[in-house]
Amino acid sequence: MKKTTAVIIGGGATGVGILRDLSMRGVAAVLLEQRDLAYGASSRFHGLLHSGGRYAVKDAEAARECAEENAVLRKIGRHCVESTTGYFVRLPEDDPAYEAKWVVACQAAGIPVEPVDLARAHRLEPHFSERAAAVYEVPDAAIDGFRLCRQNVLSAKRYGGKMMNYTEVTSIEQQNGQVTAVKTRNTLTGELGSIECDIVVNAAGSWVGQVAGLAGIKINVIPDRGTLIAFNHRFTDRIMNRLRPPANADIFVPHGSVTLLGTTSSPTERPDDFTPTTEEVLALIDEGKELFDELPRYRLLRAYTGTRPLYCADPTAATREISRNFVILDHAKEGLDGLISIVGGKLTTYRLMAEKISDAICGKLSVQAPCRTAEEALVDDIAPELMQQAKKFFPTAGVELAASRLGPDLAETVQRIQANPAKKELVCECELVTLAEVETVAHDDTTFTMSDIRRRTRMGMGTCQGTYCGLRGLGMMVDNDLARGMTTENLLREFLETRWNGIRPILWGQQMREVELTRGIYGAGLNMDGAVPDETE
Amino acid sequence: MKKHHYNPDSCIACTSCVAYCPVSAATRKFAGPKMMGPALERFRGGETNTDFSLDYCANCKNCDISCPSGVPISTLNMLARAKQYKNKRRSLLDWMMSHSDLMSKLASPIAALSNFGMANPLTKMILKQVGITDKMSLPKYASKTFLQQFRAFKQQSFPDKVVFFSGCFINYYAPEVGMDLVAVMQRNKREVIVPEGLDCCGSPLVGKGYLDEAVEKARTNIAALKHWFEQGIPVLTCCTSCGLMLKMEIQEMMDLELMEQLAAYTYDASEYLLELHAQGKLSTEFAPVAGCYIYHTPCHLRAQGIGKPSLELLSMIPGFQIEDADAGCCGQSGTYGFEVAKHDIAMAVAEPVLKRIREFQPDFIVSDCSGCRLQLSQGTGFPALHPLTLLRRAYEGK
Repeated sequence: MKKTTAVIIGGGATGVGILRDLSMRGVAAVLLEQRDLAYGASSRFHGLLHSGGRYAVKDAEAARECAEENAVLRKIGRHCVESTTGYFVRLPEDDPAYEAKWVVACQAAGIPVEPVDLARAHRLEPHFSERAAAVYEVPDAAIDGFRLCRQNVLSAKRYGGKMMNYTEVTSIEQQNGQVTAVKTRNTLTGELGSIECDIVVNAAGSWVGQVAGLAGIKINVIPDRGTLIAFNHRFTDRIMNRLRPPANADIFVPHGSVTLLGTTSSPTERPDDFTPTTEEVLALIDEGKELFDELPRYRLLRAYTGTRPLYCADPTAATREISRNFVILDHAKEGLDGLISIVGGKLTTYRLMAEKISDAICGKLSVQAPCRTAEEALVDDIAPELMQQAKKFFPTAGVELAASRLGPDLAETVQRIQANPAKKELVCECELVTLAEVETVAHDDTTFTMSDIRRRTRMGMGTCQGTYCGLRGLGMMVDNDLARGMTTENLLREFLETRWNGIRPILWGQQMREVELTRGIYGAGLNMDGAVPDETE
Repeated sequence: MKKHHYNPDSCIACTSCVAYCPVSAATRKFAGPKMMGPALERFRGGETNTDFSLDYCANCKNCDISCPSGVPISTLNMLARAKQYKNKRRSLLDWMMSHSDLMSKLASPIAALSNFGMANPLTKMILKQVGITDKMSLPKYASKTFLQQFRAFKQQSFPDKVVFFSGCFINYYAPEVGMDLVAVMQRNKREVIVPEGLDCCGSPLVGKGYLDEAVEKARTNIAALKHWFEQGIPVLTCCTSCGLMLKMEIQEMMDLELMEQLAAYTYDASEYLLELHAQGKLSTEFAPVAGCYIYHTPCHLRAQGIGKPSLELLSMIPGFQIEDADAGCCGQSGTYGFEVAKHDIAMAVAEPVLKRIREFQPDFIVSDCSGCRLQLSQGTGFPALHPLTLLRRAYEGK
């Protein structure tokens, strides 16, 4: 039986933040994730690193926390944060009284807010509505949830932290009111295991209720569906917010080559209710076009859905009304020492949440080491010499992209190309991902599926949504003998299925034509759906 | 929305453009139209990286022609090239290749001297240093420009008028083609007007990334032509690149007043004559023309989407035999084939059509584009003619 001090359940931002914090303080910790890092809300969101502006009027404390953590993450997370800045735009139909209240509230919360001359704003962002009545600039930024989680784990590893993905907890063992171990099951292979521990941290996000349930404890978490859409282009270089009380479809976030629009809000029963609907997409576009007049004409890439883990003592509250603040629940109160849950909160404040819960854990363990997560960068900067070397091999726009995706793995990727220049060929032309990069990620011992590669490289996340890279990526997996127990058919099916889950609700216009090409290749060309013999013949 | 509004969003990555790109087939130095066009366009937000692969696009438009989604891929490349080179120091070669109108203005008045000067070994060596290949002969300046000849020519006046946009090549190097057009129009009871103040169409400038200068040229040309096309008088071209610029490229790359109207009234000369024929107004009093001919379709004519009007016209000449080469791009693409760095690529692109012509052994090659005529003639040793020259011969019974 394996042994550690703390087992953290959940590979989202909160979990990896705790793993990093505890590891840096010298507490032995293992993180268990049922699927892959950032499988839940940590990637299924708009990727906005809040300035705090969105919460300023309603929740001053949340706003202040966002403002502080925003500054910290820009510093420690340079390689997963794009410091774009953001605009809050009031349209003529939005209440001017709210604008006045908002400016005062931002200043009170310590959020730097600057009015922007309308002509200047339109020059810098030519696509948003000419009808805009007022524009303010705040330090919003774009953050990549996949990279954030990955880089926290990389940082934790340097201090001895461990991460196991595709590992779910099947039971929390206890003796005399004290946690003793967790039993695990590999969700890909079914292999069983157990880890002896003193502390179990339940950071399972929307699954926090299920995990607590394993120990017979009830937590009232309402998973709240939020659907977003990704557009094929980066039509804004800044975060664009609607200056009005928070509502649906009022945040646009540029990410690399795409723009994301969110969000909807509706309660659901299941934490993995991840299938977006056409109605949600249409509602987003309908409301979003108030800020971007041309929006209905922009090409949609896909839609995706996440669930926010909203915690509420009062189960009857409307979901937008529930505070986005987090709560730490020490279940010693309910008679189980060693089990701590963290619920609610938002990605922007993940580090602070991790700090608070790690303080609590260290208190229990009498560990004196202070939190240092706000001081040290998640990953080191890439050496300029390596960037120079890489520039020889990558498509011109591709070097910076690859460097920001790969971080410390860039060196290995460059070595692969040096050893065999043919590996600079692109597997994914839409997102400029080389074969060498895909191979580097595929060889990592936490990579199992093609979707794992996708999350780390963006292979399959661009215009063609996997039409070409699916085949090429599969060829690479088979060539390198990396199928790891999965059949080639299942590897491909898993990859395509995740793509199609986001495309089904947007089957019209240009993406419909794209899908017909994809279906032609995989359905007709490769017979992915399996032919049924015609019995009438 | 503008008729030719560029929209990389429509690309479904089907890769037809790569399959039809003659440059991609000839060299790996070019990353291909899909990559350089719609794919990279998604990453060309704020700042741009200098990408030398972009230089290899010949702007031949085969990608645009093959695209089933209507993405003007080559235009994305030209816009990116303009952005890439904006405010950057350019090579003498790039300047020379895109400003031949200015150089011609200086050299043409002393044509004999200039031609001698350009042909001597010392000049060739210097040109090679600049980046111009010595494997091809540059075209020779005519002793009298088209404009000089046209002004000296007494036309018969007719109520029906056409405006002729000769473009630089015909004006400086091939004035006889312009005079052939005038003769053909006179036969058809049309008076030809060549307005004052016309400038280069801007095609070579676009090809080298001098978009701002091309916009100025387009503005000048629209100003000089609008008096005529606003009255419904057609504007004729018989250079397919000038025609493509006036009809399509201005709209794709620029935002100028009256550009849609200009496009609507611009015709390739053969296209216009075919239209006259459809209205029963074309004189078909053709005498037989002897000889063995092969026709090459310029890419910039195919990009206009009007079929092969010259071939249709020539087939009206009694007993006239002309073979359609139908063997792809000639590789020259304006000035592309003159450059040391690209000459071999141009020749590789040209090989199928050169082989076709060599095997056919014609008396004359026929093509609407002067670049194509230069390339095919030098590449095979057979002389090349503009279709209007043949049409004039048929009218005059020579």
